[in-house]
Amino acid sequence: MTDNNDYLLRTENLFKWFPTRIGILSRTVAYVKAVDGVSIGIRRGETFGLVGESGCGKTTLGRTLMRLTEPSKGSVAFEGTMISALKGSRLKPFRRKMQVVFQDPYASLDPRQSIGSALLEPMKIHRIASTKSEAKKMAGELLEKVGLNTDHLARFPHEFSGGQRQRIAIAIALAVKPSFIVLDEPTSALDVSVQAQILRLLRNLQQELDLTFLFISHNLAVIRQMCDRTAVMYLGRIVEFAETKKLFENPKHPYTKALLSSVPVPDPSKRRELGVLQGNIPSPVAIPSGCRFRTRCPYATEKCLNLPPPLIEVERGHWIECHYDIDFAAASKVEIRPRAT
Amino acid sequence: MRLYEYVARRLLLMIFVLLALSVLIFYLTRGLLPPTTALAAYITPRMDDSAKLSVARALGVATTSCPSYSAFVSLQGGCVVPLWGQYVGWLENALAGNWGLTLLPGISGTDTTWHVFFSRFPYTAELAIAGAFLTIIIGIPLGIVSATHNNKLPDHISRMVSLGGYSIPQFWFGAVLQILFVLYIRVNGSGLLSANSTVATRCVICFSGVVPGEIARYSGIPLLDGILSLNFPYFWDSGVALILPALTLAITSIGAISRIVRSSMMEVLRQDYITLARSKGLKENVVIYRHALRNAILPAVTVSGLLVAYLLGGAVIVEIVFSWPGVGNASLAAANVLDINFLELYVLVTAVIIVVTNLAVDVIYAKLDPRIRY
Amino acid sequence: MKASKPEGSQSSDRYGRRADLKYALHLLRRNPIVLTGVAISVASVLLALLSPLIVNPTSWDQQPLNLRLCWNNPIVNWQIANVFNCGGSAVYPLGTDSYGRSLLQMIILAIPVDLEIAFEVVASAVVIGVFFGGLAGYKGGIVDEAILRVTDVFLAIPGILLAIVLIVVLGRSLPTLTIAVLTTWWPYYVRLMRSQVLSEKEKPYVERLRAMGAGGIRILYGHIVQNSIYPVLVQATLDIGSVILTVSALTFIGLTPSPLLPELGNLSNQGIQYIFTAPWLILFPGLTILIISLGFNLLGDGIRDVFDPRLRR
Repeated sequence: MTDNNDYLLRTENLFKWFPTRIGILSRTVAYVKAVDGVSIGIRRGETFGLVGESGCGKTTLGRTLMRLTEPSKGSVAFEGTMISALKGSRLKPFRRKMQVVFQDPYASLDPRQSIGSALLEPMKIHRIASTKSEAKKMAGELLEKVGLNTDHLARFPHEFSGGQRQRIAIAIALAVKPSFIVLDEPTSALDVSVQAQILRLLRNLQQELDLTFLFISHNLAVIRQMCDRTAVMYLGRIVEFAETKKLFENPKHPYTKALLSSVPVPDPSKRRELGVLQGNIPSPVAIPSGCRFRTRCPYATEKCLNLPPPLIEVERGHWIECHYDIDFAAASKVEIRPRAT
Repeated sequence: MRLYEYVARRLLLMIFVLLALSVLIFYLTRGLLPPTTALAAYITPRMDDSAKLSVARALGVATTSCPSYSAFVSLQGGCVVPLWGQYVGWLENALAGNWGLTLLPGISGTDTTWHVFFSRFPYTAELAIAGAFLTIIIGIPLGIVSATHNNKLPDHISRMVSLGGYSIPQFWFGAVLQILFVLYIRVNGSGLLSANSTVATRCVICFSGVVPGEIARYSGIPLLDGILSLNFPYFWDSGVALILPALTLAITSIGAISRIVRSSMMEVLRQDYITLARSKGLKENVVIYRHALRNAILPAVTVSGLLVAYLLGGAVIVEIVFSWPGVGNASLAAANVLDINFLELYVLVTAVIIVVTNLAVDVIYAKLDPRIRY
Repeated sequence: MKASKPEGSQSSDRYGRRADLKYALHLLRRNPIVLTGVAISVASVLLALLSPLIVNPTSWDQQPLNLRLCWNNPIVNWQIANVFNCGGSAVYPLGTDSYGRSLLQMIILAIPVDLEIAFEVVASAVVIGVFFGGLAGYKGGIVDEAILRVTDVFLAIPGILLAIVLIVVLGRSLPTLTIAVLTTWWPYYVRLMRSQVLSEKEKPYVERLRAMGAGGIRILYGHIVQNSIYPVLVQATLDIGSVILTVSALTFIGLTPSPLLPELGNLSNQGIQYIFTAPWLILFPGLTILIISLGFNLLGDGIRDVFDPRLRR
């Protein structure tokens, strides 16, 4: 959002609309607006959090960043190169630098491929090891790096537990020596005790290998624990963005506030200013006019109905998309100030 | 998408499939062979050259400007209609119902293909419908019994029947039935069925002694005409004559249908709502026939399009084994003399029936299963 | 276990396959019906391979006409005296045919002919199905639509009818017979493979492979096809029997390269002509078809039980 050469990956006004086709001639009648104009910048070496309810488009954003799906509009730049415009073999060098770890550790490994062969495959694709024995040695080292051992190379995915499989998925992602990894809900399918181990592993790997993470999750506690900066996504757009600490201590957007207040707090004396979110998230096919959050916002006004909210920097590095400057911090009383525009 | 839009889309596809099929069959019968070969079946040595030439023109292979038959035979320039021109002419004729002359029933070019085909077709239709009827009334109960008595004696018997049906050569099954019923199960010194192909005249289970009177041919289907003209001896005899061919035709599909019903029934019986129905204290029969069967039968409905294709194809073999006077039997004779007019009509009529059945099945399926979206 | 020693990926593959194999053998031992199927199909393949050694492979066009339609089987009395005057004292276990050849010898010579056509048709159909069905399912869009419409065209005609037309047009020989049956058979495999690939390609590991930079060919044929081919192979085993049925039906109705050729349908064709005078002529070739086809059907059922976990009880 500010210009900075430190950005490893930047998106500029990124859109991903899925057409809904019907009829004899397959005419397009509507779009599922999964990503609806997103501009973010991920700094080298940081963990960038992306949080939101299910169906808000965060996974699609991750997939679009990775070029697993074509963006409808807008651009993605990786290390200064517009990868959103690249195709086929010219994209391949970037595939090596960007990797992804998915939520479901059971389905993200080929059930008929041994762990060893799965680890060797990316090396084969990108010609990383010069000889086969070297590749095998590297595969063994990767497994040790994620807390498994070389004996496991000969095993098949069904012989492992969920946490072990997620470790394997991480090892495979690391096999091509990437600089950027999209972690798409990497722990939400795991037991809580295992979650902590995986998160610790990820943090250690990040330090050791100088990795940059995009951490996608709906779990606020995990985001708070892992991320340097966090963006909150609602119906395809980033509605609030700040350093994680600031965001959690002083949320500015009513949606973020509502999300945070839905997390149980250890100290019951801390009052919740905003109740649980009313209603369901609207369909991404029919996004409300004006401010997309207005249907669920307790403070919505006439203005919210008609005008899309502007993006403003409320504090340094703290951006929101809202017509009003809502101060939730003003002790127990919500103060809504119309903003001078 | 609404239903009519779905049907419209399917109709378009159907027309496309039939057109593509007509191109395929036209190319096979006329494009692959030289035009003289295609013509050969329809001329006799007795014909003079002008008669031969007019046959060639009627078949659409010789141009109207072609001077003589010998010029056509030597494939002289401007004498042979180019292939695409042949196709267009052929398609126009075909759509107008003009399918040329056929060699059948044996004398060269004496009757129109259309007439011969549709005078024989009712017999094939009767056989196929009877086969479908047997498939349904035997195959579905067999599947249900097999699923409700899983791994007990009825299940084993039903599995044996279905595996046997899959594995048995139809022509052989038909022959064995003939040997058993005609040669060995003798009643009063004669077989169950008379040698006279369709209508038995002197057998015990037939309407003995009564000579079938005049039959009004309303539909051409013996069984139906027998009822319509209130000639019960004729009806009875045609019914008796139908049993063995229809059973032979159905034996494989009985196995297939009972297998499908069995597996889908077993799947349905495992569902929670069946457990719920049982826990409500409903009788087992109510659970099975009211709740389970309705859902288990759907997969069987989807394959009925395939079933029709299968029965129409199998009819060829069965008709030959039983000397049934239908089109399947005739198609072999047509193939042997390369009577391409008859083969083309046969293939395309069958294709229309199959494609229309498939469409009907899909629409019925969509109506039966509220979950289906188009 | 031996496989736990790190020997690299080669031994690892063997480890997994061995586990599958062990489970398969365990199931086989438990299920006598499947075991019968295995026995029959293995026996028929062995018999086919050895048949030129058992019977003089050229004996089928020798015609000792004095033995026409002889039936000297003491087990069954068909109550029909030899229609023709049988010369010699040789015993023909299954009688002789109208050309005077031993029916048993002809059946032994016929088995490899039918099995070869069946294997050729099924193997080619699987290859075509894997290639085009895989392509249709993976690529989707216009490729999928085009391939599907072509299969539609072929599925709109009863197979036997298309085969009749093809054989008549292409000429009567064993290769055209094979091609004719294959032409009616391949669309089912394209459809089957396509539907398998459609469900398999949605799995996250495919997405992960794409993110890794793997190309379409590697993903489709190296991963998706390998994970979704078992139903196709089961179908292929079941279809060996069905192809034999179709081929023999075609030769039975007379679409045969030569009436003398020892082929099971061809032998039955002779039989139907003498059905009331020499019923053994149709009974035994047909019975052979039934047994072989039953064997492969049982085998296919068994393989399905092994690889379809939903059917495991």
